[in-house]
Amino acid sequence: MGVKRVVLIVVVGLGILTWAYSAGWVSGGVSQPIAFPHKTHLDLKLPCAGCHQRAEKGAVAGRPPTSLCMACHAGGDTKSAEIKKLRSYGEKGREIPWQRVWRLPSHVFFPHRPHVVVAKINCQSCHGPMETLTKPPATPLKTLDMNDCIACHESREKAVMAKATTAQAHPKAARSLLNDCNTCHR
Amino acid sequence: MALWGMVIDLDRCTGCQACVMACKAENNVPAVGQKEAERGRIISWMQVLTETDEEHHSEKMRFIPRPCLQCDDPPCTKVCPVYATYRNPEGIIAQIYNRCIGCRFCMAACPYNAKYFNWYTYQKEKPGQNPDVSVREKGVVEKCTFCHHRLQKARERAHAEKREIEPGEYNTACAQACPAQAIIFGDLADPGSEVSKLARSPRAFKLQEELGTKPKVIYLTEGEGGG
Ligand code: HEC
Ligand code: HEC
Ligand code: HEC
Ligand code: HEC
Ligand code: HEC
Repeated sequence: MGVKRVVLIVVVGLGILTWAYSAGWVSGGVSQPIAFPHKTHLDLKLPCAGCHQRAEKGAVAGRPPTSLCMACHAGGDTKSAEIKKLRSYGEKGREIPWQRVWRLPSHVFFPHRPHVVVAKINCQSCHGPMETLTKPPATPLKTLDMNDCIACHESREKAVMAKATTAQAHPKAARSLLNDCNTCHR
Repeated sequence: MALWGMVIDLDRCTGCQACVMACKAENNVPAVGQKEAERGRIISWMQVLTETDEEHHSEKMRFIPRPCLQCDDPPCTKVCPVYATYRNPEGIIAQIYNRCIGCRFCMAACPYNAKYFNWYTYQKEKPGQNPDVSVREKGVVEKCTFCHHRLQKARERAHAEKREIEPGEYNTACAQACPAQAIIFGDLADPGSEVSKLARSPRAFKLQEELGTKPKVIYLTEGEGGG
């Protein structure tokens, strides 16, 4: 016995780990270059789109340029190692190499602008309570799968259909496109 | 609702292949390598077919650029067992790669050979590719989609600005690249659009019209004295 069983357990164990990893159950998580606390900044009543400006202008929300951080953090003494790191990026005129945390598979098209500007959906309803974070999230607080996207789109269609009168132009058109596979997949 | 279509003027086509190259770059179409090519596995969503003139055999060659013809009555979608390919409300024949199980029934059904199979992982995601188009995996069928990722972006922009998509705002890569302007793309549902007007030309014909597939890619024959 002995050796054979140990080998078997090791092989099966490794197999399960690899599988769990590839299935996304176990993941290392993301670490950021600077321990940016969302909470501190949102307590200052800064709007989300004040830093993530591109969310209102296109598909990608983006991260703020270093110059924007420096507008508040350039002056005065500091003991914080994090602020010192921030200043060294700022003084060299470099952008901070933030890592992406939220990411859909590449075959999905997700534009922020229609959700944020047109539908006026709260950032937190898709991203979770970002205002509570005292350090950068290693993994998404909340993720959306296809059912979540479609469930919201369907409720939206129902609302549009309910409001539409015969005089109004194609409510049906809006309906069939919002949940058309080609609208999200590419 | 729009009905996207294309007119290709064979009188203008010089067979230069600019459309083919533009399509490959735009849609991350893989190069399959020589070995695979020899086995007839080249992937080319846009292809320039050649045809010799019946009357002037060796003298004159006819070039027929062939994207997916986006049939209004498509034979390929009817045989898909999993709804990975279907005609969408705006007339584009969608191909949802991640839904595709690789049975290739649609390829057998397409009379125009416009669908292609990924026999191997011909490429991985890498910098330099078009980020708006996903890289297809091994085992799925792919084809021309009228650059529908461009429609996604154009529609998003138009909606955000609370207006309709303007003529020319959504164009395909092949039409954009054609130096002879032989390819005209637009909305067939709008009778005033250039593509609609050309589609009504007496020179207009469709490939293998007798099959009843009702292609939305319409060709214009060479004009009088052109042949
Ligand atoms: C509107 C002004 C303002 C802007 C803009 C701003 N911050 Fe701050 N930040 C503050 C204030 C106020 C504090 C809390 C007081 C402090 O610790 O300096 C703070 C705290 C921090 C801390 C915690 C420091 C510590 O170690 O306790 C970090 C890290 C930080 N900010 C990074 C950034 C980065 C990165 C950006 C740009 C994305 C940025 N800040 C933009 C005002 C701002
Ligand atoms: C002071 C500027 C600032 C404000 C205000 C701010 N953020 Fe951020 N946000 C950042 C920075 C810097 C990062 C990158 C570091 C990190 O992940 O924490 C970030 C990261 C994120 C991410 C992760 C992005 C990714 O890479 O996947 C999300 C989601 C996010 N913010 C949402 C929000 C929401 C929602 C709000 C409003 C409730 C908000 N942010 C307000 C600066 C800001
Ligand atoms: C309808 C749901 C939804 C809403 C509302 C939403 N997001 Fe997102 N967000 C997503 C999804 C999904 C992703 C992943 C996108 C991808 O991978 O293409 C994402 C990604 C991000 C990212 C990282 C990638 C990027 O685009 O830069 C940031 C930062 C972000 N969101 C910030 C915000 C902010 C700030 C708001 C509010 C102004 C907001 N989001 C509103 C769903 C949403
Ligand atoms: C909380 C509700 C909600 C969720 C969740 C949501 N959406 Fe949407 N989405 C909307 C609404 C509302 C619109 C229509 C906006 C308008 O009227 O133009 C929309 C529009 C879109 C559009 C069309 C943009 C255009 O104008 O052409 C795309 C693409 C899209 N969503 C993708 C997604 C994807 C992908 C997800 C999931 C990751 C998602 N949405 C999740 C509410 C939602
Ligand atoms: C509102 C946006 C939206 C629409 C409409 C939509 N999808 Fe999706 N789809 C997504 C998102 C986001 C994902 C990735 C997250 C997930 O796997 O749930 C996805 C994932 C998938 C996957 C899984 C891929 C994988 O690797 O597991 C398949 C298959 C798929 N979609 C097929 C379809 C088909 C077929 C349709 C039309 C009937 C469709 N989708 C319509 C947003 C959408």
